[in-house]
Amino acid sequence: MICGGLSNVGEAIVMEPVIVRFFRWLKSSAGITILVTLVIAAYAAMDQGAYVIINILVTGGMWALMAMGLTLMFGVMNISNFAHGEYFMIGTLVAYYVFTPLHQHLESHPNHLLTLVAPVIAVFSAFVVGGMSGILTDRLVFYPLRKRSKENWLMNCFLLTLGISVILINAHQLIFGTQYKGIVRYWPLPPVSLFGVYISIDRLFASVLAIVTIAIFWVFMKYTKVGQALRAVSQDETGALMVGISVDNIQLLAMIMSCALAAMAGGSLLFMYPSYPTVGLEPLYNSWFVIIIVGFGNIAGAAAGGFMIALLQILTRVYVGEGWEYVIPVLLIALVLIVKPNGLFGSKVRGIWEK
Amino acid sequence: MLEVNNLNTCYDFLHVLWDVSLVINEGEYVCLIGPNGAGKSTVLKSIAGLIEIKSGEIFFKGISIGDKKGDQICRMGISLVSEEMNLFTGMTVMENLSMGAYTIRGKKKKEALMNFVFELFPRLAERRIQLAGTLSGGERKMLAIGRSLMSDPSLLLVDEPSLGLAPRVVDTVFQALEVLNKKGVTIFLVEQNVTKTLQVVDRGYVLERGKIVLEGSRVELSRNEHIRKIYLGV
Amino acid sequence: MKKFQDRIGLSMPGLLFGVFLLLLPWFPPFNKEYILRWLIAALIVGASAIAFDFSGGFIAVINFGFMGFFGLGAYTSALLAIRFHLSPWLTIFIGALSPAILGLLSGLVSLRLRGMMILCFTWFVGLALMGLATKLVFLTRGSLGLPCPTLYKTASNVPYYYTILGMMFVTYLVMKLVIQSHYGLAFRAIGQNMEAARTSGINPLKFRVVNFILACAFAGWIGGFYAHYYGVLTPDLMSTAKTTEVLVIAYIGGRGSLWGGAVAAVPFVFAMEVIRSVLSDMPGLNLIIYGLFLIFVMLYYPGGLAEGYRKIVAKLRVKEIAQH
Ligand SMILES: Nc1ncnc2c1ncn2[C@@H]1O[C@H](COP(=O)(O)OP(=O)(O)O)[C@@H](O)[C@H]1O
Ligand SMILES: [Mg+2]
Repeated sequence: MICGGLSNVGEAIVMEPVIVRFFRWLKSSAGITILVTLVIAAYAAMDQGAYVIINILVTGGMWALMAMGLTLMFGVMNISNFAHGEYFMIGTLVAYYVFTPLHQHLESHPNHLLTLVAPVIAVFSAFVVGGMSGILTDRLVFYPLRKRSKENWLMNCFLLTLGISVILINAHQLIFGTQYKGIVRYWPLPPVSLFGVYISIDRLFASVLAIVTIAIFWVFMKYTKVGQALRAVSQDETGALMVGISVDNIQLLAMIMSCALAAMAGGSLLFMYPSYPTVGLEPLYNSWFVIIIVGFGNIAGAAAGGFMIALLQILTRVYVGEGWEYVIPVLLIALVLIVKPNGLFGSKVRGIWEK
Repeated sequence: MLEVNNLNTCYDFLHVLWDVSLVINEGEYVCLIGPNGAGKSTVLKSIAGLIEIKSGEIFFKGISIGDKKGDQICRMGISLVSEEMNLFTGMTVMENLSMGAYTIRGKKKKEALMNFVFELFPRLAERRIQLAGTLSGGERKMLAIGRSLMSDPSLLLVDEPSLGLAPRVVDTVFQALEVLNKKGVTIFLVEQNVTKTLQVVDRGYVLERGKIVLEGSRVELSRNEHIRKIYLGV
Repeated sequence: MKKFQDRIGLSMPGLLFGVFLLLLPWFPPFNKEYILRWLIAALIVGASAIAFDFSGGFIAVINFGFMGFFGLGAYTSALLAIRFHLSPWLTIFIGALSPAILGLLSGLVSLRLRGMMILCFTWFVGLALMGLATKLVFLTRGSLGLPCPTLYKTASNVPYYYTILGMMFVTYLVMKLVIQSHYGLAFRAIGQNMEAARTSGINPLKFRVVNFILACAFAGWIGGFYAHYYGVLTPDLMSTAKTTEVLVIAYIGGRGSLWGGAVAAVPFVFAMEVIRSVLSDMPGLNLIIYGLFLIFVMLYYPGGLAEGYRKIVAKLRVKEIAQH
């Protein structure tokens, strides 16, 4: 109705040269942190060998995926999810129960194609089941609460996620028992040589999968309409409703994506993390470390932070000793918090975060 | 175009609106005035589907919208400029505007709408890559109105556009609303600045303590003893 | 006397509850030793929930590393008793000092943090403490467990029962008195809106630190009892799951009530123990019930026991007024 024949009033926007912006970014605390991380990683790689880099890529990529899901869920639904590790656990479990029968079948009926594809099927099933468990969780727990009352939402949701975590961990114990349900490896293939180090196909697959997923996720959030709606809901829920975004559906989507990513991380790391009830604890810590380091509401930051945490832990393991990787990073992060209360990368959604 | 019958709305146990009824015809410029806390914003939010109504009916173009949600109501062509504006503060002006056109299909139409907004508020065109959170109060208000326009509404609900703005900016906003009304957009305006409002609207309602106590044309309202005493201070 | 009663919030039901707890060990089946052990576990959680609520319910700081502080007190007390052959009766008080000091430091540095960030900060402090307890094997024997002397030489649980009951009461009394003083008002103001509190002349630093010190000291003190009751300490005592247990009790009891946690703990922990022993061939089922219960309470009665009580009292009042 209000479209008239109108002239274009916008003038071309003069952008700063990319290089100038890059240097400005480098001087911000995010830039410095990433630079320092890269330098340390390079040093460690020279000192200890390139396998350090591969380890960072494998685990770091997965922590990044989990942290991105956590960020998404907090941003869009204002839920600080302490059950996030349990979706990782679901991922490992599904991947195990999909892959093992396939594997046994292959032993009696060798089939090259299926050998190659079976792990992908396992990881994909983890992804799908993770998403479905996200739907279930939302409809059974958070949706009723949303409809009832928004009062004290952050705190109530925090407690609800603790409850979900307890239930899922113990359901695993009750149904599947406490023994380790793991595999030796996904692909019975010789490792490939890259830059002078041998990498197993499993690790290569996990790191490539993580990086590709991060890239897809970023493009999705930045350039698609639904991605923009996700960002809009995370910035102002009422505003999103006012412009015609179906907030309920977007929140459900955020939950699905978040859980599916965590489960996919679990599925693709099954060869490192055999499934057992509390396998999710470590990924949970790690993804929260990432959030605290980079601040909330920063998806790109979450991706970078995943690798930083992985580096920190691998360095601790190499230079301090096995088992210290949960003590020293924690202390460091506590220090970071003291110096930069909003995380190293700053945070845009401070308002709700501070309640 | 819009018909509200016996609307009651509560916040938890606080009963705010009592049997509010009003009618707005196509192309009209109608205002709702009343003291602070009377429930004016609540009326707008109830119509826009941001809060649940307790009882009563709301019809828009003959369709009952009382139980519809905010996003569905937006799709039907009602757009609200809220008091708090609810901008996406972490997005640029351009991004905010294109989010406003979330329900619009077709790139051409979007561009035309955006050009229209930029013409209406040239100020926004200058700031198109600035983050909404860093805009000044007046610019934010313009952006909020602009974003609402991006959904090409046939009914625009505006909540206190002059709140906290410098007089010159208020003039700009009021002018923009008049332009819109001339273009055929029906406007339902909530205002505290009664003097100014009664110069521009066609009709008005007065809401006090959650009840409609008075209604009438601009001339009737301007001459009314109660309004002159309480709202115009004459 | 009346005034003092009001100050400590002692009402008729409260008094009855106290008497009930005092007499409980004399009635079957509660006089059985294994049931007494459950009751003692419940009282430990109850007392902890009071200390937890002192921060969580008033200055709105969720100490998600609560059991870390608890465990720090326990380990300090145990180590002092072992290394220096001090009486456990002395060491549980000295042991409370180290979490108090850590509470002081955390309170100081956490001032710039808010909401969830504080929660994560305290969580990490707790995790770090647990990590240290696991890794400093020469000191704590790590996950092998640290045996330590007990408070009483008898095998009976009755003296322990009365000790922890007394400790719970003292915790409640001290915290209630603080809350009733002008400190309580300041705590609430800070909890609701720190900036507003600051502008109205309340120094958040001072009050937050005082609150933290007290809460952590009591956590450590109760931790000391834990050490010298069970006689062995393992690092997983400080785990997040254990903190969750305390937190859940505090919330089911009712946030910001102090007494809610204590009242909720006895039936709840007791019921959980009963369920566990009944369903012992289905490990995990008891905790699933626990999780379901938590979700149910949070969804439908987020105010917990304390709010239910308030509502009943309000209804009775209305009836009383109506009768007059
Ligand atoms: N979110 C809310 N929760 C509870 N009460 C509210 C809320 N919003 C408004 N109110 C109450 O409803 C009444 C009407 O508010 P409002 O519609 O904003 O008035 P107005 O816009 O006329 O100033 C006021 O008494 C206000 O305190
Ligand atoms: Mg208003």
